[in-house]
Parts: sequence; structure tokens; C-alpha cells
Amino acid sequence: MSNQAILATLPVERRFPIWRVLGIVLLLFLAVCAVMGPDLIGVDPFKQSLMHTLQSPSAEHWLGTDHLGRDMLARLLSGAQLSLSLAALSVLTAAIPGTILGIVAAWRGGWTERGLTLFADAVLALPGLLLVLMLAAISPGSWWALYVGLSLTLWVEYFRYTRQRARVVLSEPSVESSRLLGFGPMHVVRRHLIPEIGPGLLTIAAFGAATAVTAVAALGFVSVGIRPPTAEWGVMMTQLLPYWREAPFLIFQPVICLVITVLALHLSVGGRKL
Amino acid sequence: MTGPNITIAVEDLVVHAGSKKLLGPISFELPAGNALVIMGETGAGKSLLAQAILGTLPDGLSAEGIIHLNGERIDQLSSQQRSAFWGREVAILPQEPWRALDPLMIAQSQVRESHRYVAGLSRKAAKQATATDFQTLDLTGAEKRLPSALSGGMAQRVAFAAATAADAPVLIADEPTKGLDAERSHTVIELLAKVPREGGTLLAITHEASVAKHLGGELLVLKSGDLVERGATKQVLAQPTADYTRELLDAEPQVWPTTPTTEAGEMLLEVKDVAVSRGERTLLQGFDLTLLAGERIAIAGPSGVGKTSLLDVLAGLQIPSAGTVTRSNQVSSTGIQKLYQDPPAAFPARVALGKSLKDVARLHGEDWSKVLAYLSRLGIDESLLKRRPDEVSGGELQRISIARALTAKPAILLADEPTSRLDPITQRETLAMIADIAAEKGIAVVLVTHDAVIADKWADRRVVLSEFPKRQY
Amino acid sequence: MLQRSVFWSALAGRAVQAVVVAVVVGIISFAMMQALPGDSAYRIAAGRYGYDMMDAASADQVRTELGLDQPVVVQLVSWLGSLAQFDLGKSSVSGSPIAEELKTQMGYSLLLAGAGLLVSLLIAIPVGIMAGLKPGGWFDRFSLAASIFFRAIPAFAIGVVLMLGFAVHTKLLPVAGFKGPEYLVLPALTLGLGLAAVSSRVIRDAVSEAMSAEWRLFSRTKGLSSKLTLSRHVLRNAALPVVAYVGVQLAFLIEGVVIIESVFAWPGIGHALVHAIFGRDVPMVQGTALALGLMYVVLNLIVDLTCHGIDPRRSKTA
Repeated sequence: MSNQAILATLPVERRFPIWRVLGIVLLLFLAVCAVMGPDLIGVDPFKQSLMHTLQSPSAEHWLGTDHLGRDMLARLLSGAQLSLSLAALSVLTAAIPGTILGIVAAWRGGWTERGLTLFADAVLALPGLLLVLMLAAISPGSWWALYVGLSLTLWVEYFRYTRQRARVVLSEPSVESSRLLGFGPMHVVRRHLIPEIGPGLLTIAAFGAATAVTAVAALGFVSVGIRPPTAEWGVMMTQLLPYWREAPFLIFQPVICLVITVLALHLSVGGRKL
Repeated sequence: MTGPNITIAVEDLVVHAGSKKLLGPISFELPAGNALVIMGETGAGKSLLAQAILGTLPDGLSAEGIIHLNGERIDQLSSQQRSAFWGREVAILPQEPWRALDPLMIAQSQVRESHRYVAGLSRKAAKQATATDFQTLDLTGAEKRLPSALSGGMAQRVAFAAATAADAPVLIADEPTKGLDAERSHTVIELLAKVPREGGTLLAITHEASVAKHLGGELLVLKSGDLVERGATKQVLAQPTADYTRELLDAEPQVWPTTPTTEAGEMLLEVKDVAVSRGERTLLQGFDLTLLAGERIAIAGPSGVGKTSLLDVLAGLQIPSAGTVTRSNQVSSTGIQKLYQDPPAAFPARVALGKSLKDVARLHGEDWSKVLAYLSRLGIDESLLKRRPDEVSGGELQRISIARALTAKPAILLADEPTSRLDPITQRETLAMIADIAAEKGIAVVLVTHDAVIADKWADRRVVLSEFPKRQY
Repeated sequence: MLQRSVFWSALAGRAVQAVVVAVVVGIISFAMMQALPGDSAYRIAAGRYGYDMMDAASADQVRTELGLDQPVVVQLVSWLGSLAQFDLGKSSVSGSPIAEELKTQMGYSLLLAGAGLLVSLLIAIPVGIMAGLKPGGWFDRFSLAASIFFRAIPAFAIGVVLMLGFAVHTKLLPVAGFKGPEYLVLPALTLGLGLAAVSSRVIRDAVSEAMSAEWRLFSRTKGLSSKLTLSRHVLRNAALPVVAYVGVQLAFLIEGVVIIESVFAWPGIGHALVHAIFGRDVPMVQGTALALGLMYVVLNLIVDLTCHGIDPRRSKTA
């Protein structure tokens, strides 16, 4: 793809600036939230209390309560758990075959490469989110439909990037010279390919995770993804929107969570795509 | 202060980067009809001189001193003000013309716009002048080509036509022969030598003594920004007084001593009636070669005749389209090693050099101390091994790659233009080391070079490839 | 400069993509149909005759007529077959022909997409050029920070924030639906901000690269003024990666249209798609998804041809 070629020519930063550190710290914090979920504060995110709806933050409910009197913090944590684990899972599922197939395509060339490239192009013949949306529609409300859709769209980028970089690396004299020196394919992968594409893959992973988190929330928000009563940031936004006049602070909480997550992911790899 | 004939006068010119002095102080006066050649190795600050005169120094560098151009003092003018002279009073021939031409514009338009907007000709006259340029510069047929479809020599001539369209009395040429093979650089030098003969003024910057010799005039020799010697070019080249100048001159292949012939051993590789092709095109046919242990063979010829492909066939990396290549059983599967033209591309880019070398030592069961011994013999300090390939100089890296090849205990070493991107002094040292070590270990070396003189001086035997006749239909 | 063969090869590539889009959309829609709970024959019969007028007999008639008793593969083939004949069927909710509905919706979606793209370029071009002329300067760093920040806010969140902050609060602009041009402002701004966050950086990189290129310096030293250098050399070279990047952004544009239409209840195809998915109206899902997919393909084709037009190198090699 010519667009990919243009993207790959943009310089990659090598320094480790302060905002990357900030992004990584934020990401670690979010990871803790995701692993622990509502257990972190020991409050049930589903427990309703119709006597205490739309409450302002207090000692009992640090971030207030929603329209059904559920604890906001617990729900946000539960949402973090859902979004981040779904994102991590899809990114991993996409990255491993995507990278391996990219290397295989570049290495074997010929029909293998043509076939795989064709398949990758076919998957993204539709815009990614549209594909996820349609797959999610087959089984409405289920997280696995989102997971399958996201993995299916995300692997393409790993494949394209790896294939394109690997083609360049494999044609370099350094690989020829390693082969002449008697090294096998595993050495080429370990010493030539991985160091060359590793940082790029990390960037794709971070941006892919951000895409996944955003997509889950967007679909939840327009009521075609995760469904209530599950605590999901997008769903929460939809549900809280009608109450923005009485409790304006509530609607912004899931928005802020979403922005912080995406920001942390972007910053952790230097803020720019390849 | 400056006579009526003086086109460029420079007085105590110094270039600084912050508090660090990069160049100077330098003074000279250049009368019309003369040539001034600035000579020195890469990194000697030669290009800074031209940039300081033009006002194109990169950000962060500053120049002091008095500069007169065609009788007018210009050193206090801003780059913006000086740009009024560009193309009109002083023409600038760029380094690496390929990258100086707009990649999206066809050749003739890039020349025509100079005639039109710089010389101020009418649309019709500009078209005519461009056509004349293309004819006199032997560029017929290249009018509608994009820069990517031009050879290095053609691009240089297109750039020349575009730069000199307004007939500026002064021409500054920065490394005009960089990246050109012998024949093409000769054409460019001829072009430049004509400038002072026709009454113009030439300021040329080069690292090659042969270029200076052709251009004549006056010569300044720079070593890391300092002026080490000056005088009439003929005089300085004939009787250099500074050590550095002598070293530079000795590095010219023409004056190399002939490397002593080695005693050839048994046969290692036999090439019989080999044909080499790239894609559909046949590059070579009926090629025979017998390679004996300890022998040095040079394969010379212009670019594009298939020298590199032939080397790949010898290495077993490419299958010949006809004929046979037979290895004797003296030569193990890793018994043929190769040195590359671009040393940084020959190492894994993101791995420390020491790690790469240790991998090789482990694979071949060689003691690490032995590798270190090779390195110290080649003049490489162990501390360099912590760095990555792009953090050491090309000369150092090429020597490290020699050490790497030796670790694999080769019987045959194939070297593809291993020194063409190195400075002359480094080139000479590197080739001498290869010859030494090969003689000592009985390694056969095949050197591919575009420089017939190097082939002559360095090899026991030489094979000259000429252009394979184009197929007739 | 555009050569005939290049035109056809670009067209052929995108034609293949269009077929792939149709097949993928068809298969997924079919799967959606299969996954619907209950007997599909009953549902279709109800769709045709209304719930009051149908019975088991009419359902059976539908079953044999549409081959719903056949194996799944045969059904899939006939499903795709009717798609190949551009038979999109009728909405199972409203009963109106889908092609009809798409025609009006398509106009709205193209209007929003065009306006969003326009807003993004109006923001990104000046910002990108200003930042690119002085890389590392204060404006460059400021615009980088703004770009990172706006990229981190998903389109629908920008929409919600704009909606709450702008329209509902101050009553300046209408928030939902479409009754006049002022209804276009917020959705277009939402879409445009998201696009500009990325494309301003692409423009900035293209400009700064072109400005530091050796050919730019040579154009100056051979005597062309900075104005002529800009107009004759810099702009065209800088435009190339930018136009190519618009191609990359098209996916984002279509995705944005889907989400933002839903946020602002914009009467376009994206909104209809989301609505149809929510209402399990499979023929409508298929029709709208197909329309969006084909819109994506056609826009890509336009970008391809523009790139070929700007870059003479491609027409030589292709």
C-alpha cells in the first residue's frame, strides 16, 4: 500500500521524553484499575439505591451516584476492566498472527505474499469500525462479537507494517552477510527483524488498543454494542445524558476516563503514529 | 581593497558553532578568469566555506570575516538579502544533483524556469535557450525525463544548466564529482575547467587531488577547518610542503606503490562459461575464471555491467543463467565471505557491534580473544564495540566487517567496492590491510572496483568487464 | 499527465474492492438474518402482509417461495444472487423500498462528509503550514499538543461535549436533526476537529520536509525567489503525502459519519444503519452498510486518481 509506504518514511523519535514517562505511568495506573476493577474499593457496581440517585460526590460515594443510585466510581472501575481487557485481548489476538504472517509473506514472497496481501486488503475493504459494527450486530450485546470484530480488523495493520518493513530488512546486505556467515533463519528473525520492527509494533499496539477502547465506547454509546446494565463507559454516557442538567458532573466522568485512557496509550509511545 | 578584477575576496573568514571553531581563519582573493580549489577530507569544513559566502549556513552556525562579491561587501547582508545574488552573480552547483532536482518536475522545465525567471527571458527565448543547453551538454533525449530517470552524470549536467542559466560570472561547485564513476566525473571536470577559460571564476570544493589537478588555478588545503597549505595548484601538487597534503596526495591511487605479488596456492574456485543476467537482461556471457589460494583479483568496469551480480554468482547467492561455478573441497559452506560497499548496511542496524561479532565467534567456535586480536591488528579499539553500526565511521565499520569475515575463517573474500565510500587516505589503508592479511592467511580476494587504477595497483590479476552489447532486434 | 492505462488499473483495483465490499456485507447480513430469533418465514410474511393478515399458510408459502427450507449454503447463494441484481428488498420495519430511502439519506451523508472534510482542511492547512515552516517553534509545539489532545477525544465525545457546551447551554445552535443549514455546524465541526487533529500533523511534516529538501535550496540558489520556489516546487511536493493521507483518513471519515450522525440524529445513512441494527431490520442494515462501503470505495478512487495526477512518477511506473 502506497499510503503505508508514506507513513513508514516519517521519522520515528528515539528519545524518551517526559510525556512518554507520563503516559506509561498513567497506563500502569489504568492497568491496576483494570485488573482489580471494582474490587479496588469493594463496592458493587450494580447495587441500586433508588433513594440515593444522582448524588454529588461524598465520603460514601467518592464520585457520586448515577440515576439508579449506583456508585459511579465502582461503575467506572468496572468499565475500565471491561474496556481495557477487551482492548488488550484483541490487540494480542491481532498482533501475534499479524506479525508472523507479515514475516512469512515477506520471506516467502510469490503467491504466499500475494494471497495474504489480498486477504488483508479484503478485510479492510470496509472501514474497520463498520466491520466491527456489523459483526457486533450478528450477536447484539455480546462482548465476544466485539472481540472477534476488533481482532479481525486490527491484525491487518500488524501484517502490513511487518511485511513492508521485513521486505526492506530482508533485502539488506546485512541479512545476506549473516546467511553467508552461516546463520540460520532464527538468527535473522532475532537479530535483524525483531530489533527493527519491535518499536513500530509497540506503537501499533498502543494505537490499536486506543482504537479498540474508543470503538467499544462508541458502539455502546449509540446502543449497538455492549448493553445495559453492564457498566461500560459509552453506555454510561448514553444513560447519563438525560440527567446532565440535574447532575452535569456525572456525564463528564466516563468521557474523562475515556480521554485519559486514549491519551495515556498515545503518549506512552510518543504521541505519534509511525 | 579589492581590485576591479577581483570577483570574490574573503578576509579572515571564520565559521563557529557556538563557541567551537569549525573553519578558518581563511583569506583569499579570486580574480576573474581564475579557479580556486579547496581540497580536504570529508569533515574538513570545506562546504562551510561555500555556505558562509552564500549565506546558506545551517541554523546554529555563524560566520565572521569580510566577504566581497563582485566588488560589493556582502558579509553583513542577511541570507534573504544575499539571495538576490544567487543565480545572477554567483551560480551554485549542488552536491548530489539527484537530490537537488525537484523529483516531480521533468528535466527541461527545471532548466527552463531558470532561463525564464532568473535570466528574465521571454517564454519563447527561454524555451530556445533550454533546447540549446540540452544540445551542448549532450542531454538530448532527457528533456522530458524526471530526475529519478536520469543517471548521476546527466543529473549533474541538468543541474549545471539550471544553475548557470543566467550566466553568473562566478561558479561555486561543491564536490561536483561525488558519486560519479571515472568516466562521468571526467565529463563534469571538463565542464568546470571551461569556466575560467571562458573568463568566468570558479570556486571548486573537492576531496580528490585528480580533480584539483584538472582545474588548476590556486589551491587551498584544509584539515579539520584549518588552512594547512596554499599556493598555485600545480606547485602544491608537485611539491607539497605540509605533511597532510602529502598524505592526501599519496592516497591517490595513481601514486600508490604496486602491492607485491603473492604466491598463489591451489585452486579454490573454478568458473566456466558463466552467463549472468538480471531480470530479462543478460549482463555477461562466457565468463571464465580460476581462483587460486592467496591470489588477488580485481574486476573492473563501469557501473551497470554486472560486477555485483557476478560477485553474487561467485558467492553462490545467485544462480548463473548458464555455465558452472565449482568450489574445491578446501572451501567450506561458509568459506566464502563478502565485504560490502556500504558498511552500515552490512550489519544488523539496531544491534551493538560487539554483540554481532560475539554471535559470529560463537557460531564458528572462535575464541573471543582471537576476534579482539583481529580488531586490534586492524586498528579498532575495543570500546567501539559498544556502539551501533550508525555510530562509528564508515572506515572503522569496514575494518570491523573485515574482522567479522576473518572470524568465519574464509578461503575466499569477495569485496564489492569496499572503499568507494571512504576517504582516499582511509581507502588506501583499508585496501593495504586486506592485501596484507590475505597474503598472510592465504585467502583469495576478489575485488570489484570501478577504478581501473586501483585494480592495476592492487591486484595480481585484473579482469576488465565491458558493456555487454545490447541485443539487436 | 494521467495515462489511460493507469486510469484503468486504478479503476479495476477499486472495482474489485467494490465487489469484495458487496460480498462481505452480503455474508454478514445473511448471518445476521440467520441469527435472528424465531422463524424467519413468519417474520417475512408479517413484513409483507402485516401481522393481522398473516397465518401459518402464508408463512409456508413464503418458506417455499424464498427457499427457506433449503440448506444454508443454497440460501446464502440466492441471497448474494439477489444482491448481485441490486435487489436490496424492502425494510422489514417500515416496508418501504430500501433503494428509495438510501437516495435521500445518501445526500445527507455526503453533505456531512463533505462539510467535515472542508472544516478539517480549513483548520489543518493553515495550522499545518504554519507549524511546518518553523518546525520546533512555539506554534509547532502548541499545535502538536493540541493535536495529541484532540486525537485522544473520540469523535462522539467531542460531539457530546460540543452539544452540551455549545448548543444546549447557550441555545446558539440547534443540536439534533436537520431543518436548515445551521443544523450542519456542530456535526461538521465535530467531524472536522477529529480529522484535523491528525491531518494538520501530516501537512506539517510534508511542509517541513519539503522546506528542508535539497531541491528546495537548489531552487533558491539557482535564483528563483522564495515565492516562486513555493508555488513551483514546494506546494506540489508537499501536497502529495497530504492527498495520499486523505486516502488513509477516508476510513476514519466514514466511521465518523456513522457515529456522529447517530449522536446528532442526522438523517443520513450512518444513522439509518445504527437505527436498523438496533431495530434488527436486516435488509436495511445490508442496504446502508453497502451504501457506506461503496461510498468509501468511490472516495478512495477519487484520491487515487488525484495522487496519480499530482505525481508523474507513478504514471510512468504503473
